[in-house]
Formats: sequence, structure tokens, C-alpha cells
Amino acid sequence: MLMREGQSLRTIPAIAMAGIFLVLGGCATYSQSFRAVERNLLKNDPTGALQALEKQPRSSRDQFLYVCNKAMLLRMLGKFKQSNEEIKKAKAIVQKYSAISVSEQTSSFIINDATRTYIGSPVEQIMLNVYAALNYLQMNDLNGARVEILQEDIRLRALMQDDPDSPLSVDPFARYLSGIIYEDLGEWSDAMIAYRKAYQAYQKHAALYGIAIPQQLKRSLIRMADKVGLYNERRKYEQEFDLHLAALQKGIQNTGELVFIFNNGLAPIKRESSVQVIEPKSGHMIRISLPYYEKRNTPVAYARLYLQSVRPHLKNVPKLVTKTEKVEDISSLEIETLKSQMAAITARALARAVAKDKLSDEASQRNGLAGLIVNIAGVLTERADTRSWLTLPAQIQCARLKAPAGLYSAHVELLDHNNNIVLRRNLGKIKLTTGHNDYLSFRWTSIEATTRN
Amino acid sequence: MLIRKFKLAALAIFIILAVTACATQVQRVAVNKDIDLSGAWNDTDSRMVSEAMIKDMLDRPWFRNYARKHNRQPAVIVGRIRNLSDEHINVRTFVSDIERAMINSGQINFVASSNQRKEIRSERKDQDINASESTRKAMGQEMGADFMLKGSINTIVDMEGKTQLRYYQIDLNLISLANNRMVWLGQKKIKKLIKNSRLRF
Repeated sequence: MLMREGQSLRTIPAIAMAGIFLVLGGCATYSQSFRAVERNLLKNDPTGALQALEKQPRSSRDQFLYVCNKAMLLRMLGKFKQSNEEIKKAKAIVQKYSAISVSEQTSSFIINDATRTYIGSPVEQIMLNVYAALNYLQMNDLNGARVEILQEDIRLRALMQDDPDSPLSVDPFARYLSGIIYEDLGEWSDAMIAYRKAYQAYQKHAALYGIAIPQQLKRSLIRMADKVGLYNERRKYEQEFDLHLAALQKGIQNTGELVFIFNNGLAPIKRESSVQVIEPKSGHMIRISLPYYEKRNTPVAYARLYLQSVRPHLKNVPKLVTKTEKVEDISSLEIETLKSQMAAITARALARAVAKDKLSDEASQRNGLAGLIVNIAGVLTERADTRSWLTLPAQIQCARLKAPAGLYSAHVELLDHNNNIVLRRNLGKIKLTTGHNDYLSFRWTSIEATTRN
Repeated sequence: MLIRKFKLAALAIFIILAVTACATQVQRVAVNKDIDLSGAWNDTDSRMVSEAMIKDMLDRPWFRNYARKHNRQPAVIVGRIRNLSDEHINVRTFVSDIERAMINSGQINFVASSNQRKEIRSERKDQDINASESTRKAMGQEMGADFMLKGSINTIVDMEGKTQLRYYQIDLNLISLANNRMVWLGQKKIKKLIKNSRLRF
């Protein structure tokens, strides 16, 4: 009796499967569930985004992403201290869950990859230190920022140990930022080492996805090599970059420096791509879901920063202006990282498909209905792990501007690829002090309407 | 039948264990008890280092020489102690541990820090106007420090896989305010081997 029922159920093809497809559409992946937050970000409204984030249901497995997103939104609201408290929580999660979990490995083998506790991609983990350091810099806590770059160094060294040959084991901006911080602290030999490492990292990354070596790094390398007395190295850089120290040093006596960080756009979003086939022999449905990155393109190519002295007698002096350069391409980094992980993700998905099919086979032998239920459950739960830190920018851009000490009013212009102005925004007053850096940042999250509704 | 009973009992024990493991547990411990959780710099390190270093400082010849020459105890002030490590160490608690160790030694006159002095001076200014003649404290009677204690906390981290060797080096310098002479240089090192688990449940 049971056998007969099982056999009849084995051949249910079209109607039941159509039902499955319909239900599948209803199950949301992580990136799909992020729409409410994203909508607010597209309007450049971090307050609304933060409220949406708080309302979003979350599991303990995704706590890392919740605290990271919260940290980024708080930073956008200028709440640097609270932002760093969230980053601290994220770091604790990474430390706690870095060990491989036996139970989660098992569940990822029979359910899906998203059942594992998320602790961030290597890029995201490095960005924790980068943004914590930037937060400290904006709070004028140079020593706090120094602690972060030392932690970042340990993280980068661990990455290097895991995979010494991968260009992804070095991070150009993390090193460049370390150089800026060391230079500001007057620790010149450390600054020189960091700039040198940044230069090597940019060269490796340029070969991978074509990021240009920033002009400002070239200038820093020449200046710092001269300061620490590495004259041969300085001459080598001068020839290589076709830049000369004398020209770089013109008019920079008694000046302060403004480091302007422009966080442009939104990091790419992971989507799911699935293949569903019906195994002709058993009539079971097999589904394989894999993640892929979709870029969220920003219309803004770069920013122009203007400084105007607020002293009345200097009002007629022309404004100081500088243009930002791309110093970190988070989009490309994330995409390359996923590419490097794809072989392992695919192998796991295939192994899971085999395991799920075997399970439904075994269940069918006992009871046809049970077999069908196991098959449906297996297919329904086969979802790609689309988790990633979605409030990260697509790019970090930076500009450094030396100016005589004093009070300035700053404003920024965002320009598209055809040099048309997209936005003009006043950034308030900034005070530059001789021999020190002042840090200013601006975030723009509107992107071209390429995201799905 | 017996096996079934045994199975039931085992299940009950498992459930009880699982439930009790979930509850938050708070246990009071002695402040001076050494507890290491993550391997990071903690109160035990701060206390051990400050006590050992101040003891070393007072055992050295500069102290006896000074007391003999000036016929009084030296007055010391704690200057800046820089955190050059890769951890967000609360330097203030370390400084207060050092101050405590110095004051409690009874062999040193201790001068308030520049921030504290500012507050006291403003109080004295206030007394000048508002306090009675008999209780008013005059200005210009402060005890000037003879030496300033400065220093830094450094770390060197070495690692291999999940094992980390953390090496802390704490340097303290005692500098004479009269002539910038460095009279004592103390160094304390702590080495910690931290093994993180590769597997969890």
C-alpha cells in the first residue's frame, strides 16, 4: 500500500514543482531583506536607514552585519564614538567565532551556507580597523587611531600567513592610512615603511583590477624618503614618478594639512543565482544556489574640495582647491575576494545537493510522502549565502591639501564622469594647525537606480 | 525496560545541563585574583607591573643619593605614559596604579598632576575671595616636583595560525626636572602565549 502511494508520489512532477517555485520566490535572502535600509540610503538619509535597520529582524548568526551596518550609519551621522563602540562589538564577534564550528559546518552541509555565523570577508574585517581609525582621527584621537592601525597590521599579517601569494592578502589603503597616521605622529621611519608597503600593495592590486597608484602616495613617498635620509630611494621615486622634491616642497612651510576622505557610493550587493533540475530517475528536484556580486554603480566619479579662509582680509585670496583620488576600490576587492572563494562555495553546494538527494532517496524508500517532503525541504532551504556588509562604500577616495594654519570654510562638489556637478554641499568650518593634520570626511550613498525592487 | 529508563534519565540530565548552561552566571571574585580571558592587557597586568616597577625604582641608588644630599624625600609627578601597543589600554588606570604604588610606599612625596593642579588652583582662587582668613590657603606655596615619571607601553606580536605570542614591554623613565638628567630607567616585560581554539561546538 505504502509502496504504491510512494510510487505515485514519485511521479508528481509539474504541479508540485510549480508550487515549490512559487514558494521559493517568497523566501528572502539576506540581501533582499536589506531593501528598507537601502531605500533610505539611496535618499542619503542615514537617520531613516538606522531606524529601518533597528526594525529589521535579525538572527544571532548575522549579528556581525547588524553591528557593522549600525557602526557605519552612526559614523555617517557624525556619532564617531558610538560608531567605534559598535566596531568593538564586531571585532569581538570575529574573535569569538573565528574557530570552526562543528555544528554549523554540519548544518551548512545539509541546509545552506547562511546557517553559519557570519564573521565578514577579509576586506570587511580590515575595514573594521580602517573605519575605527578614521573615527578616532575625526575625534582628534591620534593615539586611538594608532592602536587601530597596529591591530590592522596584525590582521594583515594573519592574512599573509594564510595565503602569502594572494594580492588580496595585502590592502593598499590600510597601509596608506597607516602611513598618514604615523606621519602625523612624527614617527617618520614607520610612516616610510607603511608608504612603501602601500606602494607595493597598489602595484599588486593594479595588476588584479586596475587601480591606479594615487599621486598623493607618490608625493608622500618622495617627501618621506627625504625626511628619513633615504636619498637614493628618493631619487629612484623621483625618476619613476617624474616628480621632484623641490617642486613638492614649494610653499609648504608653516602649513597644516587637511586629509579629506570621500566615501563614495555603496559596496556591491550579493545576489543569488540558482539552477533547478529534476533528476529523471527519481523525479527529485535538485537545486544549486550560488552567490554573485552585483555592482551598485555610483554616478559620482570624484569630489572637489574647496577651502576659503574666513579672515576678512583674505577673502579675496583665491580658494584652495583639490580633487579626490580613488585610494580603495572596495567593490573590486569584494568581487575578487568572492571569486577566490567561489571554488570552495561551489564544491560545498554540490556536496550539499548530493547529500540532500541521498536523504530524500532514503526517505522515499520508507515512505513516498516523506521522500517528497524531504525533497521539498531540501530545495526550499537551498539558498545562497548573500550576506555582506552592505553599508560599506563602493570606493574610498582621498585628497590631501596643505594650507597655511587658520580657519577655513570648506565646501565640496561631487562630479560625474563627464565633469558635470552632481551636488554641491557646504561642510562647515575647519581649523588647520601648523605641522598637524586635520581630518574631514564626506559620505554619498545615492547610486544609479540599478538595484532591484 | 531498564535500558529505556536509563535513556530517559540520560535525556533528563542532558536537558537539565542544557538549561542551566544557558543561564547567565555572575560570580564575585577577589580583586587581586589573576584572571585571563582573552590574553589582552588587563587589571592584573596593570597592578603587577606598577607594583614591581615602583619597588625597583625605590631600591635603586638615585633614591638614597637624593635623600642623603637633600635630607628629604624626593617629590615626583607622573607625566605622560604613552600607549604604543596594539590594544586600547586604559592608561589612566595604569597611571593611578603607579600613583597608588608610589604613595603607599611612603618614601616619596607625590605631587598632583597638571589637571588636578588646575582644579586646586581655581579652588584656592575661590577661597581667596570667599573663605575666612583663618582657613584660607595662600597661593604660591605649592610643592614643586623634583622628578617626572614618563613612559610607554609597547607590544610585539608574533603569531602562527591560532597561536599568538604577545610580548609587552613597559618602559618608565624618571627624569630630574632641575637638569633633565635621567636618574632611573625601569623596564618590565610580560610574555603571554595565547592559543585560540580551532574548533567550537
